[in-house]
Amino acid sequence: MWWAYFHCYQLTLDVHSQSTQQVSTNLPTVVYNPQQNCIVQCDSAALKSGLDINMGLAQAASLCPDITIIDYCADTELSALNALAHNIYQVASDVVILPPTGIAVRLDNLLQYYGSYPVLWHALTHEFTQANISRDFGVAWGIEAAKVLAKHKNNRFYTTHQQVKSALQNCDLNLCELSDKTRSALNRVGISAVGPLLAMPVQAIGQRFHNDVIRYLTALRGETFPTVTLFRPKETFASHITLPFEAENAQHLLPYIKSLLTRLEHYLRARNLLTSSIHFTIGFRESDNLDLGVSAAHTMVKVMDWQLLVELALSSKQLPEPAISIHLTCDSFDDVSPEDDDFFSQRFSLLAQKQLLGRLYAKLGDEGNTRVLMGNDHRIEKMTSHQSVTSVSEQSAAYSPAFLFDKPTPLTTPSRICFGPLRINTGWWDNNTYQRDYFIVETHQEHRLLVFRDANEQWWSQGVYS
Amino acid sequence: MKKPLSLFDNNPHIWRGKQQPADNARLSFGIPALDNALNGGVPAAGVIRIASATGIGELSLFSELLTRQKSQKLCVFIKPPAQLQADWLLAQGYELDKIHVVTPSCDNDALWAAEQCLKSTACHCVYLWQNTLSYKQARRLQVAATQSDTLCILFTPEQQSTPLPINVDLSLSMKDSLLNISIRKQRHGWPVNNVKFPRHWTPDNSSIQYAMRTYRYVPEEQHHIVS
Repeated sequence: MWWAYFHCYQLTLDVHSQSTQQVSTNLPTVVYNPQQNCIVQCDSAALKSGLDINMGLAQAASLCPDITIIDYCADTELSALNALAHNIYQVASDVVILPPTGIAVRLDNLLQYYGSYPVLWHALTHEFTQANISRDFGVAWGIEAAKVLAKHKNNRFYTTHQQVKSALQNCDLNLCELSDKTRSALNRVGISAVGPLLAMPVQAIGQRFHNDVIRYLTALRGETFPTVTLFRPKETFASHITLPFEAENAQHLLPYIKSLLTRLEHYLRARNLLTSSIHFTIGFRESDNLDLGVSAAHTMVKVMDWQLLVELALSSKQLPEPAISIHLTCDSFDDVSPEDDDFFSQRFSLLAQKQLLGRLYAKLGDEGNTRVLMGNDHRIEKMTSHQSVTSVSEQSAAYSPAFLFDKPTPLTTPSRICFGPLRINTGWWDNNTYQRDYFIVETHQEHRLLVFRDANEQWWSQGVYS
Repeated sequence: MKKPLSLFDNNPHIWRGKQQPADNARLSFGIPALDNALNGGVPAAGVIRIASATGIGELSLFSELLTRQKSQKLCVFIKPPAQLQADWLLAQGYELDKIHVVTPSCDNDALWAAEQCLKSTACHCVYLWQNTLSYKQARRLQVAATQSDTLCILFTPEQQSTPLPINVDLSLSMKDSLLNISIRKQRHGWPVNNVKFPRHWTPDNSSIQYAMRTYRYVPEEQHHIVS
């Protein structure tokens, strides 16, 4: 058997940052556990300003006055883990949720579907990246061993027992799930790392320690079959979003409703189902929850179709007070009937897409695959970005060329101006100020190019209209 | 007794001039001259080769065709000649999360990627830029594309003219603001040369010129004073 264990160490922060994508702030954010009076999770901005895990609230506030504090709630983390397991279940079969922060996935039985470990691994990590969850992982012969490696922040993919064994050698005993008493007893006989513990014969330990220790050790060695409950997705769909701000206007709920509907669409697509009625529950601080049932005349699955209906239903509702959460449930499903061409005219297989991307990434690597995203800039060369940028306007510049050269080249061919000038004089914020007059020109061969004249009256060609 | 030609009659790959085209799934350009020459448009699956120079609107001609079909599937660009721009894609009507760009380091990897994309049924359309393509490679792409109902558009330089076993073979050129398309080969149809039509694929200054013509500046002393 071969298992991967993912240790999701900042679930609450990740969930929070997802829901605040629209209103991104660079303020340090921490998660605070009132029971233990300590900070349990810090984001990068918080770490930069000197905050750290296990600090008290007073110390944190004195270090950094404008800190955002989120309360730790075990239920939120568990529901985030559940949502993540739902996503992973689409690409893997044996998924185990290990609260409070762990998810384990069995890998060896998936190999026959994916062909090789790199493809499988890309499919798995893609789910995590898409859900935007930070994690440490370990890969080993059993859940317990993988968990020790994940907590050791090993983050390497191993395929042989020998590699795992040498990685386990130096892991600290504190990472194991042994009681303090056992650990100090082991320390007394000079065992402080996992390696020597694994090398001990079972009989020698059996004489001195309790049965639980033996049970854990055999599990750690992978000698027993793991007795865990495998994750099974629920029969009905339910999803919940806590709003990052209190929305007074029903229109402000729409982006969050759209993301709920997207989840619903993924759920239905994966199960080949359709639905004709969905149910929203909008939560408030004081008033009773507002129920909003939306039904359609025929069964649908697409976000766009549902969104139109929900917008109509919502436009007639008045919110009694600012809303704080939205919950979407759907429990009546219909099978796809052959005459419903909603599914089959544009047959769309999410799995095929994931397999394809997995294969492309596995063979060509990150440098061979790019995504095209909108940048947040007026300068032509920064209008397109290859990393995701937060808060981007969806307005496109009509004069953008199809292709942009890596570097502007001097314009040497005689040509005629068809469009322009368009002056771009900006970039003062990153010391990259320039003034350029952009034109679209046509060469003698009637090729259309994007050219510009810089402040020194030099002409350069920068892109081509294909 | 069997007729001597019955072997040929039964072969599905032999098409006769009097037969109607078998597959009706065609994508129309919306340009009457071109659609007539292509018997209603290009087939919705298979390989189309475009031999043209870069920069005469060859990509936007097909983008308009494909973005009219709303699809949930991916659009993959393999080995584009330069960096693809997000704003242009949006203006053409693509959805950015359905776009994937593959920039392999060698031609063999590009062909491998194209074949994987065509076979996977996850793609709506695959654009491939490739300088040369052998008969066998083209055949592989054509089979993969027709089996999974995907369109593969292959861009090659102008000089390329080796015959390939593909659906449509076009050559594009631009002369006097007219796009000139020669259909060098099409399945279930005859070659047609020099289909010409005017084409605008970049913004131009016509609105400014129109405004300047219409609201011409008239010096003040020429104003007629109506008393």
